[in-house]
Amino acid sequence: MLKRLAYLALCACAPLYAAPHLDAQRLQQLAHDPFWISLGHYETAKLGGWRSYVSDKKYFLAADGAHHPDAELQATLDALYAPASLGNQHPQCVYPARTRWLKAQLQLTDLPAPDCTEFKQWFKDVAPHSTVMIFPAAYLNSPSSMFGHTLLRIDPANVQRDQTALLSYAINFGAYIEGSDNSILYAWKGLAGGYPGLFAMVPYQEKLSEYRSLENRDLWEYRLNLTPEETQRMVEHVWELKQIQFDYFFFDENCSYRLLELLQVARPSLHLTAQFPLTAIPTDTVKAVKDAGLVERIDYRPSRERELLERAKPLDPEEQQWVLKVSADAQQLQSVGFKQLAKARQALIIDAAYRLERYRANGQERDPVQAQRSFELLRAINQNPPPDLQIERPGLPENGHESRTWQAGVGTRGSRTFGEYGLRMAYHDLNDNAESFPLGAQIEILQMKLRQYEGNHWQLQQLDLATIRSLTPRNALLQPWSWQVTGGLERVPGRHDDQTLVSHVNGGAGGTWQLGDDVLGFALGTVRVEHNADFAAVVSPAAGFDTGLLWKNPLGNLSLEAKGDYFINGEVRRSLSLNQQWELSRNLGLRLSAQREFSKLATPENEVMLEVKWYHY
Amino acid sequence: MKRILLGTLFTVVSFHAMAQAPGGPDCGWGNMLFKGQRGTPAHILASTTNGTSGNATFGMTSGTNGCSTRDSLTYGGRSWIAMNGMMNELSEDMAKGQGEALTTYAVVLGVAPEDREHFAAVTHEHFQQIFSKADVTADDVHTNTLAVLKSDPRLAKYATQA
Repeated sequence: MLKRLAYLALCACAPLYAAPHLDAQRLQQLAHDPFWISLGHYETAKLGGWRSYVSDKKYFLAADGAHHPDAELQATLDALYAPASLGNQHPQCVYPARTRWLKAQLQLTDLPAPDCTEFKQWFKDVAPHSTVMIFPAAYLNSPSSMFGHTLLRIDPANVQRDQTALLSYAINFGAYIEGSDNSILYAWKGLAGGYPGLFAMVPYQEKLSEYRSLENRDLWEYRLNLTPEETQRMVEHVWELKQIQFDYFFFDENCSYRLLELLQVARPSLHLTAQFPLTAIPTDTVKAVKDAGLVERIDYRPSRERELLERAKPLDPEEQQWVLKVSADAQQLQSVGFKQLAKARQALIIDAAYRLERYRANGQERDPVQAQRSFELLRAINQNPPPDLQIERPGLPENGHESRTWQAGVGTRGSRTFGEYGLRMAYHDLNDNAESFPLGAQIEILQMKLRQYEGNHWQLQQLDLATIRSLTPRNALLQPWSWQVTGGLERVPGRHDDQTLVSHVNGGAGGTWQLGDDVLGFALGTVRVEHNADFAAVVSPAAGFDTGLLWKNPLGNLSLEAKGDYFINGEVRRSLSLNQQWELSRNLGLRLSAQREFSKLATPENEVMLEVKWYHY
Repeated sequence: MKRILLGTLFTVVSFHAMAQAPGGPDCGWGNMLFKGQRGTPAHILASTTNGTSGNATFGMTSGTNGCSTRDSLTYGGRSWIAMNGMMNELSEDMAKGQGEALTTYAVVLGVAPEDREHFAAVTHEHFQQIFSKADVTADDVHTNTLAVLKSDPRLAKYATQA
């Protein structure tokens, strides 16, 4: 605004330059060019016309620019002719991508030539030549990370030859948080759009340590086949978005959606954003980018935690104890017992101990004692370096099943048969098709199940707001907690052997252990609060347990689970269940569920169901 | 209008505050080995919103921890000060004699492709001289590296360039 006033004032004094006159038809044609629409981040508004995703008024030169691409184009065209003496504040310096495009479209040969020193220095510093899309994969102990995140890395020339990706910059779009909010408010505002979204350009190295070390997420790097020219066009536009605020919504107007827009600026012939009218889940956007033929090669960077676990894998229990001893006290390296071990085994132990030590230092302030320990381990590594760590690449994240699920099943409960129909908006449970998903992670958002019993009797069976389960195995080196949390409506055994619909919130914590290569065993203590019409109190609390086995077998995932809830009012509700998934194809699965329920209010009941799951969109 | 004006002010101020000579009060050059990382109290929530806290930087001086890069040796616009953020990785790679951070270090020091393997071998051999103590700073590491390079006939030429 201020800038605009400034150059308007200057324009008045210096009428030497004049923007060319555009006839109305040409103006409309240019203003509705897909590229101009992309630059303004316009979308068609609900009631016709246009609206921009940019919520920041200072992005627009025309007063009504956020709703009128044509007015904005005319204003931009006029602004380009502002006197060159404006320097870095000149619209040509502020809007390099708009400038380049309009100049080419209208053959503007008489433009003033301001000296855009800031932009030029920045552009030279970034030195854009090629683009890599970065996808930090899900982290098991943080199932909400299953939604993932995407960012772009901008590489200068020669990055591949010199292997200097650590020096590249990354373009990140995220919610901009100003500190003082507490965690709950923070999560809520993040979901509901209470924070503005901003682009940031940060060293890729910083992002790497954030994801690989702090959050323990594997990273996938998709090298895109954008040409240097396309990459440069995109980076020019990113400069225009410096400190410009967008609305940020977790489900749709998120990081992935914004990056797809950027790719459309890079290559205007792409139609990526149109595929995501409702939600843009990062893995799905990776798929879209891949389907558009943009991906040239894929690289994988394991997280620091995975590296530690892989390093420790070949060690026997005694050697693992050495890892713990050595990481606690580097003097142990000099002990007789340690020196008796084979040199090659020593190397593995020292490396694992060093990695464990750094893993523990994660997210902590620098501790001089710990730093000294790490340093001594480094010196030991230097004396006896371990072999290179080879880590097998897991399944590509975009090869996992799609995120929305339709379900249809038939079954019997006691002597009654029923059909059950369900829809889950997102994303994955413990039994779902396992390709590219870690065993023991579950996150479900908004799931509804309807049942139709004989005699056309319909009922709401279940309505989950969210279900999160994180079953991460504990081992000699790392002892993560397992936990789960759920809330919603569900049917439980009630009086008169009927099923009562109750609302509930419950959660639990405990441990998970790796019992075999593809077998996990878990045991959690749980608490539950329930509103149940069969109970006298409005809200009834309960404590209980949830324990079971998970087995990834050739057919699909199998789970065997025993649960119990002991209510303060005396009700005891227990169940035994078995679920086996049969993976028919990437997006199709068949599931057999069998369950026996016990309650003090009703006679024990069996339920068996066979269900088709179609992962779609 | 007021908000924008304030915003502009902040940008200008922070830009000036950021561009300092190495060793200046706000210039992070000289990070200590095993420097602590920012904690993540709201880890799960952070990955939900992909939030960035603090300033939404825009790369003007990034990679250099707020230091002016004008007088330093650069590679394709990248200063060796960028190594500041990679001290942990560099120490590990050098101890082992290979790795991406070590290659990157060779590149920013201007070591030609044919000499990089030799560079890795020499710095690996002299690891204890370069990373001389647990609280060595990035600045020390750089100085020590140059000293090591000087005493190697094949790599000496890369030490004089700085």
